[in-house]
Formats: sequence, structure tokens, C-alpha cells
Amino acid sequence: MRLRTNALGLLAIAVPLVLAAVTTPALAHSENGVAIDFWGGFTHPIFGPDHVIAMVAVGLWGAFLGAPAIWTLPVVFPLVMAVGGALGVAGLPLPGVETGIAVSAIMLGGMVAFAAKPPLWIAAVLVGAFAIFHGHAHGAELPVGADAVAFSMGFVVATGTLHLGGITFGGLSHWPAGSIAVRVAGGVISLLGFAYLGKIL
Amino acid sequence: MTRLFCAALVVCLFGSATPALAHAPIMGIGGVFGGVIHAMLVPEHGLTLLALGLVLGRQKQDARRSGMLIFAALLTCGLVAAALIGEETVAADLLLVATGALGLLIAAAWTPPRLVLGLAALAGLMFALDSKPDGTSAVESTRMLIGSGLGAALALAAVAEGAVYLRGHALLIAARVAGSWIAAIGIMVLSLRIVTRMTIG
Repeated sequence: MRLRTNALGLLAIAVPLVLAAVTTPALAHSENGVAIDFWGGFTHPIFGPDHVIAMVAVGLWGAFLGAPAIWTLPVVFPLVMAVGGALGVAGLPLPGVETGIAVSAIMLGGMVAFAAKPPLWIAAVLVGAFAIFHGHAHGAELPVGADAVAFSMGFVVATGTLHLGGITFGGLSHWPAGSIAVRVAGGVISLLGFAYLGKIL
Repeated sequence: MTRLFCAALVVCLFGSATPALAHAPIMGIGGVFGGVIHAMLVPEHGLTLLALGLVLGRQKQDARRSGMLIFAALLTCGLVAAALIGEETVAADLLLVATGALGLLIAAAWTPPRLVLGLAALAGLMFALDSKPDGTSAVESTRMLIGSGLGAALALAAVAEGAVYLRGHALLIAARVAGSWIAAIGIMVLSLRIVTRMTIG
């Protein structure tokens, strides 16, 4: 009974957030052809594979660390990412953005691969620091001139969904074989990060 | 359980929003009902009601109802002002500020009653000032403003009373994640608007 109530409550939060955005028509496009609607925002982080692996790594690491990191990291990331996005929108320069994004995949993937379990505040600071780079990269590409509520909703929901994907997969770490699979995934993410850093990909 | 269903349904309905319709009458729908629809279909208004409702749902019954009453009172004052003021205001920006602050409070699970009441007042006033439809007659505009007020008050009451049932651990975490998303959306949209205003004018 309680489980069902919890599930309904979750739906009460998740469904309106998703529906509020999903029902958006494509009303406008920016000068560079980016759709200024929910799907434009939703696909923006997803079409950047270097962003995707880092987002998934955040979820993986959160799941690996367990509570409260499993939800603290996905709360910290979008908040700091939005600040980075604001810096990018404002045109404030941030050196080494692409390097920072690649390093985020290396570090976060490496944390999972080596089963690193630092104190929560260190994990949060690390994730927050990398979120600045991701947010700045996205913010600098946001189409100026649009009323970007739906775009931003899609953008944030996509980021959260990627975290959720990482958390879901990271949930396997409760089992010995699953833990190995999660650590291997972290290693793959870290290697991909090196590939992005070396401009191989 | 039934109340939760009803709350979820109402939230879903107002969440099924179509953006970019702000300040424009919806084709074929006017009058009071058009105002009700307007209050629920503008994404940033929906986000504000969701955020405020989630925060008020965390309050004790007296504080929750005080918050709703203050929102309704300032909403009424704002609607009267909106009917009299014909020029653009910074209401949309301040509404986003209030929404972002509410999102931060949800994410931090910190809802001091006096601060919540202040934000409820700010949200109510700015919601009303941001609800004035463009390009309509004075009579039609007044009807739509009345509808906006009714729609906003009813939607807020539904979300706030529904949020009372978000009691389980998983639901509280989901609410905090939703709060971080709302705050992130507020920060990004506000920064984009400010930069757009500075760039385009």
C-alpha cells in the first residue's frame, strides 16, 4: 500500500514535469537551425557524446557511493551546471572547456572504475566543478533571442534522464557480478574521456 | 489515495502545457475560461505553481493555508494592477527569480515559513502582473485576468494539498531532484533573457 502511494507520488512529480515539456510544438528555430523547443533542448546534451558519458558517470558514481550521494550528486549537478550555463550565455570566457569536459569523463569514470569512495562533500565539489564546464559549453551554444523556457526544460530533463540512466545501471553494483560490470563501465567511460582529450574521437 | 489521484491529475493537466502562448489569447478560447487555461498553459507559470505547491506542501497546515491565502491576496492585488497598467514590467523576470528560489528551497529541503510566505507573496504578485493578455479589449482582458486568478489559485491549492502526501523517503528525494531542476531552469532562462535584452534590446 505504502509502495503504491510512493509510486503515485513519484508520478505526481515526474509526469507534470515531463508533460509540461513534451507537449511543446516546434514553434521556432534559431539562426543555426537549433529548434527552440523542448526537443531542441532535450537533444542538445544527448547529441554530445562527451557530455553523455560524463552525465552517465555522475549517475554511476552516485549509485556506487550509495545514499545520500545517489541523490545529492544529481541535485548538485544541474544547479551548478545552470550557473555555468549562465556564464556561457553571458559570454564570459572559461578556459579549457572542452578539456574540462574530457577530464570530467576521465575522472568520474575513473572514480567508478577504481571504486573510489571519498567523503560526500568531496564528491559533490568534484561533480560541481565539472558541471561548470558542461553548463558553460551548453550555455555558449544556446540560441539568444528565444524565450527558452521549454528549451531549458528539455535541456535539464535530458541531463536528469542521463543521470537516471547511470543510477539505474549503477544499481547493479549491489551484486558482485554487477559491481564488476559497473566498474568496467566506469573504465570504458574513462578511456573514452582520454580519447576525447587526445582528440581521437 | 483518491486525493492523491486527483492532485496528480490536476497537476498533469496544468502541466500539459504549450509554450510560447504567453500573453496571447488562445485561438478560439477567451473570457474567464481562456484566462484559466492561460494560467495553466504558460510553462513558467506552471513551474511557479508546481514549485510553490511543493514548498507549501512541506509546511504545516496553518502555514500552508497562510501561504495560499497570501498568494491569493497578492494575486488579486496584482490582477487589479495588471488591469490598470498597460506597459511592460519586469514581472516575468521576478517571477522566474521567485520560482528559482523556491526550487532551491525544495532542493535544499529547507523551507523556513517566513521566507516561504515572502516568496508566495512575490510569486502571487508577479504571476498576476505577468498574466495580462496582449491585444484584447479592456472587457475581454478583465475577464481573462479573472480567469487567470481563479486558475492559478485552484491549481496552487491542488498541488499544495497533493504535495502533503509526498511523505516517503523516495518521494522526498524525487521532490528535491525536481526542485533542483526547477531552480536550474529558472537560472538558465533568466540569464538568457537578461543577455537577450542586453544584446537585442
